[in-house]
This record gives sequence, structure tokens and C-alpha cells, in this order.
Amino acid sequence: MKVTIKSWTGVATWRWIANDENCGICRMSFESTCPECALPGDDCPLVWGVCSHCFHMHCIVKWLNLQPLNKQCPMCRQSWKFNIH
Amino acid sequence: MSDIDVLWGDVLKIFPVLGGLNTVPAEEVDEKVYENVRRHLSILGSVETFAAVVDLEIQSVIRNVLVPKFWKHFQPGVVASEQSASSGINDQALSIEALPDKNRLFTQFIDAINELYEGFQSLAHTKPRLVQLLGSEDKVPRSVKMLQVDGIKTCLRDSLLAQLPPTFSVVVGAFYWVHFKLFTKSSHLALATVDSDVFDELLCIGCNFDVELCCCQKLTEMVNQTNMKLFEMNLIDRLTGSALTALIKLKIKEHINDTCMGIFDRSHLKQLETWLSDVIMSWLTNIFTEWKSKDSIHDEEVPASVQSFKVKLTYFMYETFAQSVISQFFSIIIDYPDSIPAIDDLKICMEKIDMRVYLTESLRSSLEARILHPGVNTMDILTGYVAAIKAIRHLDNTGVILEMVTAPIKDYLRKRNDTVRRVVTGLTEEGPTDLSEELAKGETVKDGKESGLDEFSNWENWEPDPFGIDANVMQYNSSRVMRSADIISMVVDIYGSKELFMTEYRNLMADRLLAQLDFNSEKEIRNLELLKIRFGESLLHSCEVMLKDVTDSKRINAHIHGDSNRTENQLFDISSLIVSAQFWPSFNKESLQLPEELENEFKKYTKAYEAYKGNRTLNWRTVTGRVNISIEIGDRTLDMVVSPTLAVIIYHFQNKTEWSIEDLSTITKVPASALRRRLSFWQNHGLITESTPGIFTLLEKESEKSQFEEMSLTEADEEDLESAMASASDQREEELQVFWSYIVGMLTNLDSMPIDRIHQMLKLFASHSGGVEFTQDELKHFLQRKVREHKLIFSGGVYQLAK
Repeated sequence: MKVTIKSWTGVATWRWIANDENCGICRMSFESTCPECALPGDDCPLVWGVCSHCFHMHCIVKWLNLQPLNKQCPMCRQSWKFNIH
Repeated sequence: MSDIDVLWGDVLKIFPVLGGLNTVPAEEVDEKVYENVRRHLSILGSVETFAAVVDLEIQSVIRNVLVPKFWKHFQPGVVASEQSASSGINDQALSIEALPDKNRLFTQFIDAINELYEGFQSLAHTKPRLVQLLGSEDKVPRSVKMLQVDGIKTCLRDSLLAQLPPTFSVVVGAFYWVHFKLFTKSSHLALATVDSDVFDELLCIGCNFDVELCCCQKLTEMVNQTNMKLFEMNLIDRLTGSALTALIKLKIKEHINDTCMGIFDRSHLKQLETWLSDVIMSWLTNIFTEWKSKDSIHDEEVPASVQSFKVKLTYFMYETFAQSVISQFFSIIIDYPDSIPAIDDLKICMEKIDMRVYLTESLRSSLEARILHPGVNTMDILTGYVAAIKAIRHLDNTGVILEMVTAPIKDYLRKRNDTVRRVVTGLTEEGPTDLSEELAKGETVKDGKESGLDEFSNWENWEPDPFGIDANVMQYNSSRVMRSADIISMVVDIYGSKELFMTEYRNLMADRLLAQLDFNSEKEIRNLELLKIRFGESLLHSCEVMLKDVTDSKRINAHIHGDSNRTENQLFDISSLIVSAQFWPSFNKESLQLPEELENEFKKYTKAYEAYKGNRTLNWRTVTGRVNISIEIGDRTLDMVVSPTLAVIIYHFQNKTEWSIEDLSTITKVPASALRRRLSFWQNHGLITESTPGIFTLLEKESEKSQFEEMSLTEADEEDLESAMASASDQREEELQVFWSYIVGMLTNLDSMPIDRIHQMLKLFASHSGGVEFTQDELKHFLQRKVREHKLIFSGGVYQLAK
């Protein structure tokens, strides 16, 4: 007997490759959205800092805008720099 | 002495009544005789006494002779149906139809009336004679009743009624029944009130004799005579009125039953009114005036009695008609909108007569009898509910009747556990409920506040709440908004919460999307847009994300397939529905381990995905999906679409033709029981057999398997129909899991707590945690599970942390 699979339609869930589950700022799951967004994923992406912490982009941008002088990571207080992969 | 004898003789000549009742018309009396008597009386000075004696004598004759004689005609023995004697008039009217010998009663009645009339006439002679005797009317003493206007008639009527036997109205009924038949025949209206004997064409409809011997003319004559006599004695109203009314009511009922029963698609009121005035009223006029017409003094003037009859009967007709409509209201509801004319009719009736309470009662009970029992599909109940809403809306704009009638349906639907599902299905699919149509109309759910303003600005159109409703119902639901809500809201209102419906909608949609897996979501998107208009975006947010996942997946698949690097050395095509887990209902916990070479294919896909979407990866849910496989076995090829589990099972048999169920279970990570169920699918297809218990072998040779070849894809599809989602109770437990940390915290601080306290505390927290609501029962289940898992100890009614 020979079984040939011609095509396979599967189901998968996507997730961010991150070292945490929830955004440290809004406490929502990364796979969910920041409080301001409606659609997850492309429309509400994650960003990583060089300190390896990551947040919803909208959350960290908002946070950084609230910091008058030195922009720090809300988790480790190191100065925040975007880690561009 | 001889003087007195002579005198008495003279007196008797003038007043035969003094010698007892004598129906022979009194002969003419000479003026001389009057002279003689008058003289003697004046000598005696007792004219007044004499008049009084005559008066008394007449009265006693009426009471003791005339009336008993009349009633003797109607002794119980003579009237056939004595049993109806004690029952009410309506029953008697009904029994008229059943009387076997109406014609006999008819003649009997005429005879009796004739006799009575003769007696009456002979007495009536007395009055002018007495006047003549006394000289002039002025001298008549006030005390003599007979000489007052209608004195004798009044006395006769009084005595008659005083001795009225109960069966009499049956006789009168029979009399007029015959008359009615004669009348309807002669006025060529018989067709409208078809009597049972019309089919026998040889018989005259009117008199039941052979057509050649028809005596209708004669009978009509007799009836008219009798009516005239009755009228002259002032008896027609008193003596026959009630029987006549009962008979006509019966006729109206019959007519309504004959013409309106079961026909809802046209209006009947006009036709009924015409019938009433054309047939019944002209018949009544005929009874009261026919005999007069020869004199034709005031032919056009309808007597007052007929007028009062008309008012009474019109009212009765409306009532009967309304009752007949109401008793069929369930069918009307089901036929809506074809039955609008019937509802309009009822509306007119209800304006004239207050039938509200009757309507609600009768409708409630018929609804309960017809749809609110276990034998009826939920879908059918919903259809009935929607139709009832529409029909009753049409009848009563205020919605009060609706509120009262549909309350039991709502209560009942609430108890059925598939109601929500059915409503959601109804909303999204073409079905008998027309809910999808309603949805397409796209009105928003009204907010209470808006219409509150309306009420003030629109005060001129304000209408009071109809009376005759249970005050409790009103208080329970005093807002007019509720009552004027549209059908979708009414349906959603069954459960009282939009959220519940939306959750169910989400679950159903997830099931559908996962079952189809064809990345075609246009219809769903359309439905979702419609629902969004009605229920607002926030509740349907998840659904929106879900549909976006579908379209995104389609794009991603296209992208990955288009990648030329990948297509080489690829075993098979993979498409994937990539879902945002947070927004989908949680999946059930089934699992499936793929063979390595297959898994590699998925890894390739995942790689491609990761390359396409930076920093993101995929978790495969291998259990769900559909696989297009082709199996070459022997000299035949099977092409089929199956679920992944089935595909993996048969794939494993490629390299090893014999598997024990345990081994297969280990390698696929499917529990043995579930595996056995799946294996039976291939057993049915004749590919695998259970050679020894627990051992499954591939059947390479084609023996008697061809019979299974017809096993079509439908069966595979049936397998697919199993929901991939976690059951509602599983989801619920997951929700409660949120509280576990709270519970642990509480018990750490407070050592031990009873369940109601835990529940209370959690409720305080619940407002912070996305407003998850739960009952104490659910909490109890949850805690008991934790006890089973040895995380809690339950003793003495309190929970403690296990140490």
C-alpha cells in the first residue's frame, strides 16, 4: 500500500518569539493587542530593546514619550535602545 | 226574584265572561239590554262595585282558565326535549337543532296561539261594553284595571309569564326555526345559510315537503298570522324575545363557522355585516312588520324593538366572530403574513369589545399546547415565537399583549440548552424564522435613553397603557422601550444578555471556519457587518479578528506557495489557517503526533512563515484540518479527504502492516479509545481489520471490500463535524482558573474559609478581572476539582490549602 498526501490544510496558532508572555506595560498578552489597537499581529507589533525586554510597540513608544529626559526601559531601567534584528 | 234572573241574564249577555270563559264571539247586544242593566245598577247604586266585580272576574278568568289552557299545550310530555328544561337559554337554542319534530312543535305553537288569541279577543270585547254600560269613559273608576290602556294585555302578559314553563322557549325556538327556514328560502338567501337538507333536491328547502307539494306559501301565511296575533296581544317581545335571540345567536354562530372558519386571507367583517342586515335583520323586520305591510301605514319605519335587536345582535356577532378568530389565532400566527386580513378584522372587533383578557388567556394556552412541549424542535418554537411577535405586533402596537402572551415562550426557551445556538444559526442562515432577513434590515438596537426623549417630544401621540392587564406584568417590565423593541432584540432578549449570544456566535463561527477551511469568509464577513450594526462593535471584536485571520492566512499561504525556493523537494502542499489564539475560543486538548517526514514538511512551512513575518512562529494544531490523500492498494486507488488523525493512522500502516493499538497510541499520542474509534473508519473502508483483539492489520488483498467503496466522503466529513473547540464547561473552568491565585492568596492569609465567603470575596475581585461572572455552584465545582487534585482540603464545611 502506498499513501500519497496530495495536500494538507492545517490549523496553527501564531505567537511572538519572545522571552515573556505579557507586555510589561499594558499587562496584555503579546499575542493580544495593546489597549489602543483592535487587531493583533501586524497591526500591533512587538519591539525589542537591546536590554532584551520587549513590549508592544505602541506601549513602549507611549512610555518613552512620557519620559522627559533619559529614556529608560520600564523593566530594567537601562537606557532604552531599539534592538533592530 | 224573576227580575234578578232577567237582570243576570242580561248581564251575562253583555259580559259572557261572568259565566266563565266563552270563546264564542259575543253576540250583538241590544241597547235596550244595556238600558235595563244600567237602570238596575243605578238603583242599587253599585255601578262601581259592579265594574270592580267584572274586573276581578276577567282577571281570574285570565289567570285560572285562559293561561293554564295555553300552557297545557306545552306540558313537558308534549315537548319532546324535557331534558333541556333546566338548562340555560343558549343550550335550549342548541337543542332546537336537535329536535326531531320541529314541524309538530310548529303547528302546536300556532294552535296554542290561535286559541289564546280567541280567548283574548272575547275578553277584549268587554272593555267597550263596560264603557257603554257606564255611559262614558270618564265615569270609569280608577281602580278598574281592565279599562286602563292595555289593561287586559298587561294582565294577560303578567299571568303568562308568571306561569311560564321552562320548556316553552324550545317551542318558540322551533317555531322561529321553521320560520327562518321559510324566510331564507323565500328570499333566495338560502344559499348563504345552507341547511343540512339542501342536498336532497326533491325536498323543498323551506317546508321539507316534496317540491310539488310545497306549502311554504301557506306556512308563511300561518306564521304571519301568528305573529300578528302575538303582536296584538303585546306578547311578541316578552314571550318570544329570548327564544328568538337565542335562535339568532345560534344562526350567527353557524354562519360564522360556515363562512369564516380557517380562512384568514381575506376580511370577513364586511361580509358578515351585510349578512346580518340582509338576512337576520330583514327576517326580524319581517316578523315584526310583515303582517302589517298590507295596511302599509308606515312601512319604512323599523320598530324600536327591531332596532334594539340590531344593536344587540351586532355586538353579539362581533363577539362571536372575535371569539372564533381568537380560537384560531395560533393558525393565524403560523400563517402570518398571509393572515393579515384576519388580524385586521380582529383589531376592529377589539375596538368595539374588550377581548384582551380572553385573547391573552386563550392564546397562552394554545401556544402552550401547541409548541411548548418537548416534542417540538427548538427551531420550530423559535419560528413560532417570531411569527407570534409579528402577528401580535400587527394586532396591538403597544406590545402589552405581546409581553403577556410570549412570556411563557421565553421562559420555556430559556430552559432549552440549544436555544442560543439555534438563534445564532437562524441569524446567519436562511431558515424558516426569517431572522436573517430581519438582520438584513439592519436597524440598530434601540437605546432606552433615546426613546425616553421621544416620549416627551411626541406627547400628543401618547396613549395610555391598555387596561385589563395584570399589574405585576406591568411593573415587571414597565419600560415601553422593551415592548417596542424589534424582533431581533426580542429574540436575543430571551436570555436577557447580548453577551451570551455573542459568545455563542463566536463559538459557532469558529466551528464553521475550522470545518470549512476553504479560506472563504465573504458570507461570514457580511453577517458580521450586519451583526455589528445591531449589537455594536465591541462585542464582536473577537469575531472580526477571527475573520481577519482567515483572510490573512489566505495571503500568507499564497505568499509561501509563491516562494520558488520552497516548492522544490516538497512532499505535499500545505495551507494553513493561522489563528490568533487569544481571540478564538480555546481549542480542545486533543493531540496528534505526526510522523517525522510529515513533521518536517510542517517545519519547512513554519520556517517560511518565520521568514515572512519576523519574530513570529507557529504552533501547529495537528488534530484539526483536512488532508487530501490518495491510497494505492492492490490495483485500486482511493482518493479522499480525511481528518489529519485518520491520515496519520493510515500513513503509519505504510511501513508496518500490523500495529497493536498501544503502539499506535504511543506513536501518534492519540488515546487508545479515540484511536479505536478512528480505526473503525478505515475498517469500514475495508483497509484495516482487527485480526486479533487489540491488533490491527492492513488488508492488502482486495477481497469483499468492494462493497465499502461506496463509502463516500460524507462519512469523512461527518468525522470532521466534531467541534475542534473546547466544550463550554471546559472553557468555563479555564475562566475560573483566573481566580485560582486569588483563592490561594486568600486561603494563605485566612487559613480556612467557607464557600460562600470565598464566593463573596471573589466577586469583589471579579470586577477587576474582566467581569467574569460565575455562580456559587460553578465555584463549588471548581474547588472540588482542586480538592481532587489535592491542592485543597475540604473539611467541616471550610476549604483549606493542602500542606
